[in-house]
Amino acid sequence: MVYQPPSGARDLLPLDVAQKRWIEHRLQQVLHRWGYHRIITSTLERLDTLMAGGAIAQRQILQIQTANDEALGLRPELTASIARTAVTRLAEGNQPQRLYYNANVFRRPEEGSHSGQQEFYQAGVELLGGSGLLADAEILLLLMESLDNVGLGQQWQLVLGEAGLTRSLLLAFPEAIRSKVRRAIAHLDRIALEEMPLSDDLRERALFLLELRGKPADVIQKVSRLPLDETQWAAVNHLKSLIELLQTTMQTSAEGQATTIPIVLDLSLIRTFDYYTGIVFEAISHGPAGQFSLGQGGRYDELLGVYHPQGESRPGIGFSLELERLHQALLPTGQLPSTTPRSDWLVVSSQESTHAIAFAHSQKLRQSQDMLRVEVDLGGRSQDGIRTYAEGRGIANIAWIKADGSIVEERLAPAL
Amino acid sequence: MLTIALAKGELLKESIRLLKSVGLDFSAFLEPGCRQLQIEDPTGTARALLVRNGDVPVYVEYGQAQLGIVGYDVLREQNPNVAHVVDLKFGGCRMSVAVKKDSPYRSPLELPMHGRVASKFVHCAREYFESLDLPVEIVYLHGSVELGPITGMSEAIVDLVATGNTLRENGLIEIDTLFQTTARLIAYPLSYRLNTDNVHEYIDRLRAQVAEPAKA
Repeated sequence: MVYQPPSGARDLLPLDVAQKRWIEHRLQQVLHRWGYHRIITSTLERLDTLMAGGAIAQRQILQIQTANDEALGLRPELTASIARTAVTRLAEGNQPQRLYYNANVFRRPEEGSHSGQQEFYQAGVELLGGSGLLADAEILLLLMESLDNVGLGQQWQLVLGEAGLTRSLLLAFPEAIRSKVRRAIAHLDRIALEEMPLSDDLRERALFLLELRGKPADVIQKVSRLPLDETQWAAVNHLKSLIELLQTTMQTSAEGQATTIPIVLDLSLIRTFDYYTGIVFEAISHGPAGQFSLGQGGRYDELLGVYHPQGESRPGIGFSLELERLHQALLPTGQLPSTTPRSDWLVVSSQESTHAIAFAHSQKLRQSQDMLRVEVDLGGRSQDGIRTYAEGRGIANIAWIKADGSIVEERLAPAL
Repeated sequence: MLTIALAKGELLKESIRLLKSVGLDFSAFLEPGCRQLQIEDPTGTARALLVRNGDVPVYVEYGQAQLGIVGYDVLREQNPNVAHVVDLKFGGCRMSVAVKKDSPYRSPLELPMHGRVASKFVHCAREYFESLDLPVEIVYLHGSVELGPITGMSEAIVDLVATGNTLRENGLIEIDTLFQTTARLIAYPLSYRLNTDNVHEYIDRLRAQVAEPAKA
């Protein structure tokens, strides 16, 4: 019989891995330079941990049957796990904590979804214990530099929202219908808002919120026309300062190598359920591979309190990038490696008495310079067969170990 | 380039007429013998894809088309992740439950428990009968669902009804309506957020056209 992988599973072959590692390496370079440390948490979590934040529903989790009936699931994202461990084991450390992860996550395909994919790879960061303008700006600049360093250049845009502000603007709606309004705005369902039983004023307000996006200065001007309370004004002013800070920083550091990323301010950027309390954002690719989301993030100042035994919260902000999507966006740019690394040497033993010499010579070659790749021929082929193999694999040199133990080096013509 | 997915069949003619009224001419699709599946409008500003009804939301959900025109019934059936932008008001019909005229059933609640209901719209049908708390077996058919009750394979059908002529001619009557449906303009959410290829200009023009067809 043929053993099939489970539906929705995919295997990464050596070239896929080489390309994935290329992306991860470039992301890590940036994260290390900004002082972030990698954290590895458990793939398996208790269901209540995964769902405590309120953004994950049970139907999205792949559950695991355990012997002692503990309700476990495979993590659909990392923020819950990091929050869980941060409030206990990292609580004593100095604040802030700069953490990053590079891990697989699992999601049960939604009903009606076309893709059955269940396992995904994510790289992301969490900046815990930092709030305010500088922390928000750090995360957005870090996102920009990460995508710049993988070579996405200007093939993406940033959509920026403010979940706290939008949530408080929704308080104008009667409680009975508020969640429906929120849902319609989150799903960009204008027709639902038009048909909802609302007063003319409220309907106008709902449609205003739905279309509250565009150039940051225009949107800030528009939202400033609403009757805002003190907290809402603070959020608007924060957004204004943040965008100014980002734009000035991009201009200052982009001298000579202009990489300014266009920012769309979108105050309709909310979800039906989430734990975000401040800025929220999404990175959207618009290169030759099409327009799709590369990753998203936001500020969650109350989430850590959910996991803390005494409910003490600390501010937090982070983002996650979907590595498959980055791969998809980068593929047409031709920057990803198109082959797996070639071996530099093939060492061929001529008979059993020379096997030890072959291994010793291989080891000498391996140690002669950094990352020299040396393979030993496993026998059973003619000399011509060995040359054909080496040429096919793009191996540049063959070391023939002769019966008398002497070594003849042969350099193959480089493959075109 | 701005790409619009159009549904073959009932909605096509009116979709093309509406787009023409906002300056996008895809009437080449209506020429007899046209076998092209995608065409550009003569000004070269937009491209239209001609696809099956149920495939319109798929192209829009994946972002291959920024806009699409499709019946609300398809959106209810598939629940795709797309922005519902404008009710275009044409192509009006209703999703109904129908039974054989000479059957004893005059309301859905009179249908036998665990009876069979044939439909192309299994999701809508299931949702509806679940909301009535009536356990029935939903049988998926690709077309000619009226034959279900006629042959006795099912007690009822859930199907789109425009004039009711097909039902009448096949000896069926409507006993309830699930919802009314019209053609809808849908958009790829990210294109909607980022105004890719100026989608909002066309959305606004289409909305204005639907609101006041006399103008423009």
